[in-house]
Amino acid sequence: MVRKILSSRSPIKTLEKNITGGVGPGKLGVFASRKGVGKTACLVQIALDRLLEEKPIIHVSYASRVDYIISWYEEIFKNLASRENLKSALEVHDRIIRNRVIMNFKQEGMPAAQVLKSLEALIGPGNFPASTIIVDGFNFYLPCREDLELFKKFAGEHQLEFWFSCSLKGEDPLFDENGVPFVLKDYLENIDIIITLEHDNGRVRLNLVKDHQQLPGKKLRLQLDPQTLLLARD
Amino acid sequence: MKRLLQKMRNIGISAHIDSGKTTLTERILYYCKKIHRIHEVKGKDGGGATMDYMELERERGITITSATTNVTWNDHSINIIDTPGHVDFTIEVERSLRVLDGAILVLCSVGGVQSQTLTVDKQLKRYNVPTIAFINKLDRIGANPFKVKDQINDKLSRRAALLQVPVGLEDKFQGLVDLVRMKAYYFDGPNGEIVREEEIPPELEDLAWQYREELLDTVSLFSDELTEAILENRVSEDIFLKAIRKGTINREFTPILMGSAYRNKGVQLLLDAVVNYLPDPSEVENIALDLDQEEKPIRLKADPALPCVSYAFKLEEGPYGQLTYIRIYQGSLKRGDELYNTRSKQRFRVGRVVRMHADHMEDIEGAEAGDIVALFGVDCASGDTICSPGLNYAMTSIYVPEPVISLAIEATDKFSADRLAKALSRFTKEDPTFRMYIDPESKQTIIQGMGELHLDVYVERMRREYRVEVITGRPQVAYRETITTRADFDYTHKKQTGGAGQYGRVIGYLEPFEGSYEFVNEVKGGHIPREFIPSCDKGFQAMLKKGQLIGSPVIGLRVVLTDGQYHPVDSSDIAFQMAAQGAFKQAYKKARPQILEPIMRVVIETPSEFSGNVFGSLNQRRGIIVSSVEDGTYSRIEAEVPLSEMFGYSTVLRSMTQGKAEFTMEFLKYGRVPAHIAEQLMEEYRKKVEQDNKN
Repeated sequence: MVRKILSSRSPIKTLEKNITGGVGPGKLGVFASRKGVGKTACLVQIALDRLLEEKPIIHVSYASRVDYIISWYEEIFKNLASRENLKSALEVHDRIIRNRVIMNFKQEGMPAAQVLKSLEALIGPGNFPASTIIVDGFNFYLPCREDLELFKKFAGEHQLEFWFSCSLKGEDPLFDENGVPFVLKDYLENIDIIITLEHDNGRVRLNLVKDHQQLPGKKLRLQLDPQTLLLARD
Repeated sequence: MKRLLQKMRNIGISAHIDSGKTTLTERILYYCKKIHRIHEVKGKDGGGATMDYMELERERGITITSATTNVTWNDHSINIIDTPGHVDFTIEVERSLRVLDGAILVLCSVGGVQSQTLTVDKQLKRYNVPTIAFINKLDRIGANPFKVKDQINDKLSRRAALLQVPVGLEDKFQGLVDLVRMKAYYFDGPNGEIVREEEIPPELEDLAWQYREELLDTVSLFSDELTEAILENRVSEDIFLKAIRKGTINREFTPILMGSAYRNKGVQLLLDAVVNYLPDPSEVENIALDLDQEEKPIRLKADPALPCVSYAFKLEEGPYGQLTYIRIYQGSLKRGDELYNTRSKQRFRVGRVVRMHADHMEDIEGAEAGDIVALFGVDCASGDTICSPGLNYAMTSIYVPEPVISLAIEATDKFSADRLAKALSRFTKEDPTFRMYIDPESKQTIIQGMGELHLDVYVERMRREYRVEVITGRPQVAYRETITTRADFDYTHKKQTGGAGQYGRVIGYLEPFEGSYEFVNEVKGGHIPREFIPSCDKGFQAMLKKGQLIGSPVIGLRVVLTDGQYHPVDSSDIAFQMAAQGAFKQAYKKARPQILEPIMRVVIETPSEFSGNVFGSLNQRRGIIVSSVEDGTYSRIEAEVPLSEMFGYSTVLRSMTQGKAEFTMEFLKYGRVPAHIAEQLMEEYRKKVEQDNKN
């Protein structure tokens, strides 16, 4: 019950209301920004939102240590619990993390097929009924059209939603006239949602730059609190 | 022989099972001329490796108890403790680490850092043991010491660099290039006993210089002298060695050596490294606690002239009586000296003092600080501190984990019951994680330990060493009970059946508590006289031993006594104890009690192709998969699984993965038992109680 309330109040719901029908099963969403702006914080909040609804998630990461990922969850959950004044936070935490599996892939450029094989193993024989897959640290700067096709196909087959982070690098400009990162332009057919994060007067704002078939380039009424890294409505 | 402190080393060889540790030890003994023939593990030639001296170990091809042995290399006296690799026997590892000044961490050049390596590495760090890494089995297919080096840096978070690079690998492995001397070494003769120095093969020059650079970069962090020498381009062997030694002893650097013990390559250079880089006993800080001064820490000095302080780290029952292995930290001892055991407060006289070799011993007159020797006929337990009379020190007590599994055993016939008692008394003295007690109700003998294999090995040893055939019950998990909510009590114990009556009333509440148990007295106005407060505490504590759900110990609860009543004549110690017991019974059920079970942290290393099966098997066992880390071919899966579901898992895992996966587990926490299983446990307990009542 506590969890339901917490989840319905969540800014993630605001985010989803702004997107035509959310991301949804079989779809791919991407948070894009330069390093250190808050992509991982957004991903972890999506994950926690699903976990609070008792939906199992798999957190896939590349080259990040497992304890590092766990501490992200601990930190964001702690801040969330204190903001929402959650009683029995420890108990809720212990219960929800049972539905989270972290999969860490060590090698840079590990083929998507291999990653999906492992996901398949966990969901199939491993009997882990995941509904959301978080993918942090995927390198969009390597040629990855085929990889994204595979992810998309897998998402459709297993009715999963995928949320990626995309770390932008290089010199400005990074975005086209619609606010879409150049690095993602070649992959638009396989990506359903793109949200970019930008610094704006000491705050981090979220922009919806791809919403399924549209390129709305609209500023969302959401920002990331630089202290707690929690998403909050304007 | 007078042993110079600077020329003494106490080292252990820690490793993952099957990384070739026993073979390595065997080669060390051979090159140090302690044995004259090389045996292989698993008794291929009927001999069995010398250090694996117990029959059982010989049969299983594993080392269970640590034998210590003394060797001489380059004028240095080295005590080697061969430590077991299996996690079920880690108390052996922990105890030997306590007395070591340095260690060789053996890794397999193919498997690299495996789950058990992590456990062993954690132990080495816990006891601050300076470590040299040895990458073994360079002759194996798939050998890659460079990858293992990266793993030592990444997975073990050690700052490590190669001191050697290989000349050839796998079946073409021929020798090693030493990056300090910049020479190549080959190992000739039938058993590699002749070390031949050559120039570096031209095709390896670039590689060697590249890794020498890396080594210099890393090591120069610990030595200004070396940094200066680099800048002035005058790096001498001596400066280089000193810098490596300094980094290693301060545990800021881990030198990596390599070779193939089985192919007799690289072992002599490893021995050189032990002498060159690992500390002598005077370079290690050892602290004792002065029991006469509220355990004030006292720094011990490895000075033979001071009063003796030593630590009994291992006991062994031999054909000639009990043998006690001790490490002397301060002072010296010799035959005929009087010593004092600070735990048992007993004085005794030193009889025979011996230096141990793998399976034979040499009588010596005495020994001095820094040394490891064995004493005969001393009545003590392992972990005891033995001092010169006048000192009352305790070496920091080593961390002893609580046992998590128990097993009922029974001798098949009356005649072996005596021998069983003898065996148990010896095993419990030798190994603090192995315990036994008699269940007061069933009168059964229960043994407790750290895992299935741990108990298996002792049952097997009873058979072999004491000729006791035992019947074992089903392994039992050490459950606990706890409460989940606050509950009030108000209980009056009243008895008037002629003679002096009994009267006591206690009022207060129970509530969940983070620790194990706490008693809080908030009674005001003398409603319960002060002398009866401890009686109440005692009464509550008596109830904790056996919870009312399944008769397991109760933990995680605080008793707060707020009020009460007494009778000037009829109140007594026993009356308040009874009142507390009654109050506990009254409140416990209301406090929504729960059964807790041990949850183990299980780490499985498996080829990735089997990870689906492994996930499935964990899921079936009520396991929570925490993470899975993949590095291409291997997956390291970490999960939290109830111990009760882990029985027989090694067999299941083996058959599921064609024997290619392995796992370790250790106690993590107590977790709540799901309702349906709790029901089952309570039902079993009810039946058992009924049965016991009938009998």
